[in-house]
Amino acid sequence: MHYLARRTAVAAVTLLTVATLIFLLLHLVPGDPAEVLLSSGGMAPSHESVQALRLELGLDRPLGAQYASYLGRILQGNLGTSFQDHASISAEIAQRLPRTLELILASTALSLLVGVPAGLLAALRRGGFWDGLFASLASLGLSMPAFVTGTLLILLFSQTLKLVPAGGYVGFWESPGQHLIYLLMPAVSIAVGLIPVVFRMVRTSVLEFLEREWVRTARAKGLGERRVLTLHVLRNALSPVVTVIGLHLGTLLGGTVLVEYVFNWPGLSGMLVQAVEQRDYPAVQGIVLVICILFVLINLGVDVIYGLLDPRVRTR
Amino acid sequence: MTAPLLSVRNLVKLYGGRGGPFSKAAAAIRAVDDVSFDIASGEVVGLVGESGSGKSTVGRTVLRLNEPTSGAISFDGEELTRATPARMRALRRDMQIIFQDPFSSLNPRARVEEIIGEAVDLRGPLPRGERRASVVRMLEHVSLSADHLRRFPHEFSGGQRQRLSIGRALAARPRLIVADEPVAALDVSIQAQIMNLIAALQRETQVAMLFISHDLGLVEFIADRVMVMYLGRVVETAPTREIYRRPRHPYTRALLAATPSIDPRAARARPRVLLRGEPPSPANPPSGCAFRTRCAFALEACAVARPALRDIGGGHQHACLRDDIDTPRV
Amino acid sequence: MAKHVTQNLALAFLAGIVLLAILAPVLPLPDPIAMDVMNRHGSPSFAHLLGADEFGRDTLSRIAFGARASLAVAFIAAVLAGVAGVALGLVGGYFGGWPEILAMRPLDVILSFPPMLLALLTVALIGPGTETLTVLLAVLFVPTYARVAFGETLSVRHHEYVEAARALGHTAPRILFRTILSNVAGPILVQFSLVVAACILLESGLSFLGLGVTPPESSWGLMIRGARPYMYQAPMQLLWPCLALVLTVYSVNRVCDMLRDRFDPKAAVLWFPAPRKTARAASPAAVPAMGKMLDVRGLVTEIATPRGVIRALDGVSFSVRPGETVALVGESGSGKSMTGLSIMQLLPRRVGRIAGGEILYAREGAERSGASAAAAVDLARIPAARMRAHRGQEIGMVFQEPMACLNPVYTVGFQLTEALRAHGRMTKAEARARAEEELRRVGIPDPARRLNDYPHQLSGGMRQRVAIAIALCGRPRLLIADEPTTALDVTVQAQILVLLDDIRKMQGIGLVFITHNLGVVAEIADRVVVMYCGQVVEDGPVEDIFYRPLHPYTRGLIASVPQDGGSADKSRQLFSIPGTVPNPLDLPPGCRFAPRCPEAIAACTKAPPAMEAAGAGHQVRCIRWREI
Repeated sequence: MHYLARRTAVAAVTLLTVATLIFLLLHLVPGDPAEVLLSSGGMAPSHESVQALRLELGLDRPLGAQYASYLGRILQGNLGTSFQDHASISAEIAQRLPRTLELILASTALSLLVGVPAGLLAALRRGGFWDGLFASLASLGLSMPAFVTGTLLILLFSQTLKLVPAGGYVGFWESPGQHLIYLLMPAVSIAVGLIPVVFRMVRTSVLEFLEREWVRTARAKGLGERRVLTLHVLRNALSPVVTVIGLHLGTLLGGTVLVEYVFNWPGLSGMLVQAVEQRDYPAVQGIVLVICILFVLINLGVDVIYGLLDPRVRTR
Repeated sequence: MTAPLLSVRNLVKLYGGRGGPFSKAAAAIRAVDDVSFDIASGEVVGLVGESGSGKSTVGRTVLRLNEPTSGAISFDGEELTRATPARMRALRRDMQIIFQDPFSSLNPRARVEEIIGEAVDLRGPLPRGERRASVVRMLEHVSLSADHLRRFPHEFSGGQRQRLSIGRALAARPRLIVADEPVAALDVSIQAQIMNLIAALQRETQVAMLFISHDLGLVEFIADRVMVMYLGRVVETAPTREIYRRPRHPYTRALLAATPSIDPRAARARPRVLLRGEPPSPANPPSGCAFRTRCAFALEACAVARPALRDIGGGHQHACLRDDIDTPRV
Repeated sequence: MAKHVTQNLALAFLAGIVLLAILAPVLPLPDPIAMDVMNRHGSPSFAHLLGADEFGRDTLSRIAFGARASLAVAFIAAVLAGVAGVALGLVGGYFGGWPEILAMRPLDVILSFPPMLLALLTVALIGPGTETLTVLLAVLFVPTYARVAFGETLSVRHHEYVEAARALGHTAPRILFRTILSNVAGPILVQFSLVVAACILLESGLSFLGLGVTPPESSWGLMIRGARPYMYQAPMQLLWPCLALVLTVYSVNRVCDMLRDRFDPKAAVLWFPAPRKTARAASPAAVPAMGKMLDVRGLVTEIATPRGVIRALDGVSFSVRPGETVALVGESGSGKSMTGLSIMQLLPRRVGRIAGGEILYAREGAERSGASAAAAVDLARIPAARMRAHRGQEIGMVFQEPMACLNPVYTVGFQLTEALRAHGRMTKAEARARAEEELRRVGIPDPARRLNDYPHQLSGGMRQRVAIAIALCGRPRLLIADEPTTALDVTVQAQILVLLDDIRKMQGIGLVFITHNLGVVAEIADRVVVMYCGQVVEDGPVEDIFYRPLHPYTRGLIASVPQDGGSADKSRQLFSIPGTVPNPLDLPPGCRFAPRCPEAIAACTKAPPAMEAAGAGHQVRCIRWREI
């Protein structure tokens, strides 16, 4: 498929660019990279420690050689070892990545589940009570950063009502029920920011498509109202919704960083924050690279879904 | 005979076709395919064709609003395709354009005084009072008034906006105007007003005009000479009277036959000759004569070579191989 | 109205918080950094209005200085990013080609990072700090602006006024910064407020992680971070900064909505209340006149517009016999399309409604026997569910834009079989066979293959044939065609006209043909209904209308069409009707055509004229038709 091949090629180029930029960033910062990494709070690091780090990271070699070995390493799935405990970064990421993915999927599903019906209802009853109520809630939701929502949820449901634990994680296979309880609040925290986005997009595009001539034609054919709404309005409204979710993916991933921190969810982002605090640069580099790959892949997925939804994109 | 004001030779305009690194090279669309014509000072040439015939592209390319792919355009003896950007800007005041859509052709954030004033400025800087007086004179020319100076375009109806467009084009005192479907977006009763205005101002200023339209009736009303385009090529050109009385190219005839007449009895009495199919894609035109796939008179020879425009006297030229089709009475 | 209240509150709050931030150093607030261990988590008092935090620092003071930090970072970053992004977007969008690639491609690199991650990566390298944060946020949001400016410029660039500016010989910088920038300023301003909100959120998020604004400086994110471990003991210390943050972002968002409404007035639409369950009571006695299949009487249709309710149709009456072609002719605003939509009950929901009159329709054969009440329906009154059974099977409709009237995401076959199966039970295979047959009937070559095509793969004429096939596949007895050939070229228009006429003759259906084109009317109509400003002004047989028009408007309309006949005389003029169509919100009191009418007398402007019979089947709405 021509369209798919082109999107994949673009994704590959993007990945290479991202990997290169991550590599270059260390060298773009003014000053000697090893010194930059070791200096903290204005204290100059000792000459010996800088030399040791240079050798460890191979910073003494020419830039081209460094880049080549960096790319080679990545292609083998080797992201190096942590400054802190010299553990394999790849192994740690492999363990944590599924948890972050789960959080993203759960919150996206939740957002669609709430946002799509609410948007449809608001559009059909535009200017009415539900439309007004949902619109106000949406403006409020958009103004709630995920970490504030999460913190307030903990204050309300854990500290005050003592209904659910304030955070943590239980593996799915250990106890599926417990696992879902721990998943609930983090997923809701992220969804609170995403639902309004989905809601607004669904409402706008349903309103727009309702007045399209093909919808009039569908009614003129004598189709039932339910069929007109689902097949000729909602079906077409899905393309812009998919696009908008793709666009908000970056924000969504940013949200997981904060939410995982707030709820002690042992995903990638928790590891990332810790690594940044400890200025464990190889770990940060590895995690950012993996999340960016994820980002690009999900965007590619969005493009594919978009192509499936719209034959004009596919057959062009 | 004096030299023509505008002289176009072998004009070609291709669109697309440059495949990027990730898209396969698409076939170029030959929007304008080897078109040549002249416009004399003060002459009104009508350019007729259906959508996709390339008539609008000709208009824009002649003014270099689109860059031609190849060919020569000379204006008053000066070759436009070789003019520097600065020289081109200077030349533009002599060549103006009136667009089809009165709603997108005026800057929504500019007042009438600025819209017309910008064009007045092209004739050289004027003191503020004189500039305004000049704008007002122009407004009165197009049946608007000084009351309208401070208004924005959205405060006007479609017909009034088109008057503003005409005013802007004329305020620069050009020697050539390209009018690209200037009344197609207007209601019938307003159409007539604007056509009368254009015709009257043309007579008064003796500006040369390329009048582009799909409406044969309008072209007949205003043009001295008519060119008919099909799929990027000129298939016939003749003085207006001649082409409406004695159309030679099968496409011109089909076009005239398909145009509804407002005489119900005549409409019903005349035999229905329908052209089959629809125009082929300009990305993939037929070999030989572009019209042969829809032509009732096509021969095998029509597929072989592209027929050139042939002069049959009296300024009448057509690009059809056959001379043996009897001329119907239209 | 509630919208305006919250908007004004939001504006007031925003103004307050900005003032607080600016004035924080000069207000009599305690030092936000001064610790007082004795007063840890102190309750509100006169000295500490909102109490004190975990180090005994004054909360109100810290909120004020936090606002200073958050707003300054957000505002400066948004402005810096805006200037850079808009410049890149304008240049890229206007010039295209290489400038576009140079301006826009590098920004895609920034966009391929989730913003939070790029921020964390940078902080990991150079450590946290306010300046770092500001520069970082500015870089992060350059692409956002650039994309908006680029998109807007692209769409504006294709507007003809930009080409007109080029035709006037203006230089590129002048066009970019005078013509284009003022026209894309609206969306960019909206974007600015969005970016400010996003910057506040990112700044507070990073500070919350301890990676943004560094202590002892104050920031709302930092305050939430500090209060979190003690949320059970001192919940208010957590709630205050949360509230400040959420309300500020909310206010910025509301201001952004306000800007959007202002620049996109489409959003401000007036709506009718939802229709009540009980439809207008049916008048059982009403049946169509003898021999008529459709009899519209005194139809009134209202449309809600942002500037008030207009009567798009005001007492429209006409009728159609089986096998007859009736043309509804008029200019834009005459109400001809509204008539078609009213008959089909397809007026835009909650924007248009039928407010009076009758649309009487006689079912199969009923018109011959002088319709009994049982066989007649009033389409203006029957409920939506019953109307549905009439659509497609009794009355079909074809619209103007052949591209827009087919759903782009389904194949022709899907849309045609869907209609067939709505009209009667059949299997998919049967429906497909029937669909093929229907396409053949409207003259589509190779119908089996066309069934698998999507609408965008067909030419304009083919699409209109498909639309006609869809409208006719339920074997309706009446077809309403709303400007079906307007979007087509003349040679294709001629084909479609012949097709419609042939179908009418073969099936004996009634045809209501809505058009503005008098030539088309002369070709196809048996009877002509001329409309002006929501009223019928003349109604009669086609030859009467063209050879003996009575209404001055009809005459003017016919006279203004350029006719063939030698153009030797260059000074001749087209007949034209002076003036313009009146504003539907401000119609003239008497005859609606009087202000433009060459024959108008004083009486014309006094009272609205009624329709008068002027011959066999010929009616006219003019008090002077006998004299002129």
